[in-house]
Amino acid sequence: MATEESPQVTRRATRSYSASNTAIESTNLPESYKPTINDLGFRQQPLRLEDLLSSFPGRRSQILELLRLLGPLNSPMFPILVYGGPSTGKTSVTLQVFRHLNRPFIYSSCITCYSPRILFESILNQLLFHRKDSGHSYSSVKRCERPSDFVNYLREALENVLTNLKGNSGKVSSKMSGRPDGTMVYLVFDNLERIRDWDKSSTILPFLFNLNDILKMPEVGLIFISNTSPDTYYLNIGYVEPIPLYFPDYTEDDLRHIFMANQTNSRLYASFLDVVLRPFCRVTRQVDELAAAFSSLFKKYSEPLSDKEVAPNEEMKRRLFSHIRPHIASALNETFQVRSQPLLKAETNEETKKTNSSRMLGIREDFDKIDFHMSTSAKYLLISAFLASRNPATLDASLFDSTGVSDSRKRKRNCAYWKNFKYSPRACYNLTLEYMGI
Amino acid sequence: MGREKEKEKLSEKALNLLRSRLSDPNFIFRPLSDSPDSNYSKLKFIISTSVTEACNNSILLLGPRGSGKVAVLELVLSDLLQQYPEAISVIRLNGLLHSDDNCALKEIARQLCMEHQLLFSKVASFDDNSQFMIAMLRECGLAHKTIIFVLDEFDFFAQGKQRLLYSLLDAMQSVNSQAVVIGVSCRLDVDQLLEKRVRSRFSHRKLLFLSPSKEDTERFIEHILSLPMDSSLPHNYTAEFNGRLKKLLSDERFKELIDTYLSFNFTIGHLVRFLFQAVSYMDLSAGFLSLGNFKTALSSNQRQPKLECIRDCSVLELYMMVCMKRLEVKEQASYNFYSVMTEYKSIHDSFQTSDYYAANVCLRAFEHLLQCQLISFIDNKGHNQSVEFRPVKLLISSAELHQGLKSYQQCPAILLKLMDR
Repeated sequence: MATEESPQVTRRATRSYSASNTAIESTNLPESYKPTINDLGFRQQPLRLEDLLSSFPGRRSQILELLRLLGPLNSPMFPILVYGGPSTGKTSVTLQVFRHLNRPFIYSSCITCYSPRILFESILNQLLFHRKDSGHSYSSVKRCERPSDFVNYLREALENVLTNLKGNSGKVSSKMSGRPDGTMVYLVFDNLERIRDWDKSSTILPFLFNLNDILKMPEVGLIFISNTSPDTYYLNIGYVEPIPLYFPDYTEDDLRHIFMANQTNSRLYASFLDVVLRPFCRVTRQVDELAAAFSSLFKKYSEPLSDKEVAPNEEMKRRLFSHIRPHIASALNETFQVRSQPLLKAETNEETKKTNSSRMLGIREDFDKIDFHMSTSAKYLLISAFLASRNPATLDASLFDSTGVSDSRKRKRNCAYWKNFKYSPRACYNLTLEYMGI
Repeated sequence: MGREKEKEKLSEKALNLLRSRLSDPNFIFRPLSDSPDSNYSKLKFIISTSVTEACNNSILLLGPRGSGKVAVLELVLSDLLQQYPEAISVIRLNGLLHSDDNCALKEIARQLCMEHQLLFSKVASFDDNSQFMIAMLRECGLAHKTIIFVLDEFDFFAQGKQRLLYSLLDAMQSVNSQAVVIGVSCRLDVDQLLEKRVRSRFSHRKLLFLSPSKEDTERFIEHILSLPMDSSLPHNYTAEFNGRLKKLLSDERFKELIDTYLSFNFTIGHLVRFLFQAVSYMDLSAGFLSLGNFKTALSSNQRQPKLECIRDCSVLELYMMVCMKRLEVKEQASYNFYSVMTEYKSIHDSFQTSDYYAANVCLRAFEHLLQCQLISFIDNKGHNQSVEFRPVKLLISSAELHQGLKSYQQCPAILLKLMDR
């Protein structure tokens, strides 16, 4: 599909390892590359509509609606809010739609741009065709912290880009020269729900939603992508809401289509899916989690087969089913964790779909990989450090205060607070020990 | 084949025309401002008298969001700039961006410099900028040039110490200055937010922008959506389009639809957005607007996000929500992941359900619920603790949960039974 990513290296790799490992591809562009206006479009072959629709099973109506809302070439638009659960394809559909339309767009994600300054500077860098490289010690083209500065710089940069685009549209046909079409620029803001956790969210969110009115430039289109629904963004100053576009979770049939794509032995995989899809769907319907679980399970499923290309008949299906059956129950209870290093190179696409929720299990995995010896006292120190970082300061004060409790109100509040939790510090300690596998 | 392509091209052109009209506030609000007692004429009268009689003035434009305050103001200003090209200069500030005094004065200085082709220095301090502004006001007053300050989102300027407002209004009190301050806000009580000294210097002139009447709205819709006869589109296509549009607008069902929409969102801005959506759904092969387009647009605006979220949940997540509901019924005010798990286990023990999963799988489901905002943490103070120990609460009512469970495909019957207990 889109850009390929170099295989991720785990945190434990040293710098010399990553430098010498020839398996890592070099990044797409050499250091001295200067971006131009062609970079505002997707840098790959444009897609036809049929390819676009067929590569996203179950998303036909959403793609068509998005195309309708974006409208024909050079037609102004109202801001759009694309929302839906995680891994429902919002970002990929939006990007592929822009690839199909071949229009210039600026993409910024609020996960990588985790503060307003970084967000503003990333957008300005893309608009002013500035690439951070070692020559300028990785600085942005302009320092921009406040929304007022951002609006001024954005206006100038947009006007430059738009005159550039208007000049180009008169010349050679864009299909041949690889230039993006049209005289409109689209700004795509991804992962908008992260902004709610920022410090300055009370000023940045209203600013972004009102950006259309503030800029007053009909040649700019705004698209917001969010994991949470629009009612989580209600602000007390109000704004004319963007047009919502909802991406529902995939149904079981869609999941079947998705997993059947790119399978070498489709009939074998179909029989596998018949067995596992329904029980796993009761637990989760997210594609990334299911993919991680199915890949390992499918290996177990096809273990007894000597010939992997065979299409199974009823007898074989029944035998395979009885072989896999005990494993399903245990696989359901395993969390959908991403494999560690040895399988990493084969399954790079699963790595990128790892969500932040697997950090709990990630810790477990990392501790599995400790290969140096720790003395018992060091382990106790580690446990106490962990506990000390988890306990709130008031609890520490009340438990370890040597003169007895200083404030009786504090004690009452703490007791009530902890009673509901059904655990004492001792239980927490035991739990931690279990959890760390000691 | 060729005819179809031609027809599509025509409809595309018509679509483009309609979309650009709907996105252009000037076009939208001009017909509404034609009558002599409209806000447009009142505003124009006030500003033009201040310009011609060389006096200071201040005015507030109030109205709900989308009622066209800034659009009408821009119309007035563009007309006046044509009428008196040398006598007016406009400074525009926005409360979302410039509520900080330093920022605001810097922006004022920058716009003044741009207007009069002076060199703007980015390192000028607050005092320099304010002295510059006062000097410019004096000079413009002596040259009989009026400076119009447009303060958008006025309620943001009224937060904090209101230094900027005070210095602006104070500078206007001097004999030489000629300035008009126009505040635009969505809060109808914004003048109550002003400090006493600021309010005393502010003239209590207010213009209220209310939504137009029903007949005006209908006339407005027809005017906006009809294709003009003198455009580059062929005459018979335009005539047929307009004819069908008229028939559609007089249809009872269409009127009902518009009434339903307007009962929630009654400003022109919202109506325009609705029309934009409906126009975008126009079928290009047919080339005409149909009732179906408007129906789709209405249904996409009438979503129920929480029910959609519930429909997207997996069965395990439904179990967890039902467990939390039961805990609430049992008068437990706050619960965390472990209490929900004990409840889950007790349900499994008493009913022997087949859906019993281990703790870590349930934790993933729990975090998914947090992400969808169906549950949330009670307070933000427990960042040190992990997700399992922090107390949470359900963000949907039991009626919504019940409705969601009923509309869920293949919902286990046990859950409905548990909810009914």
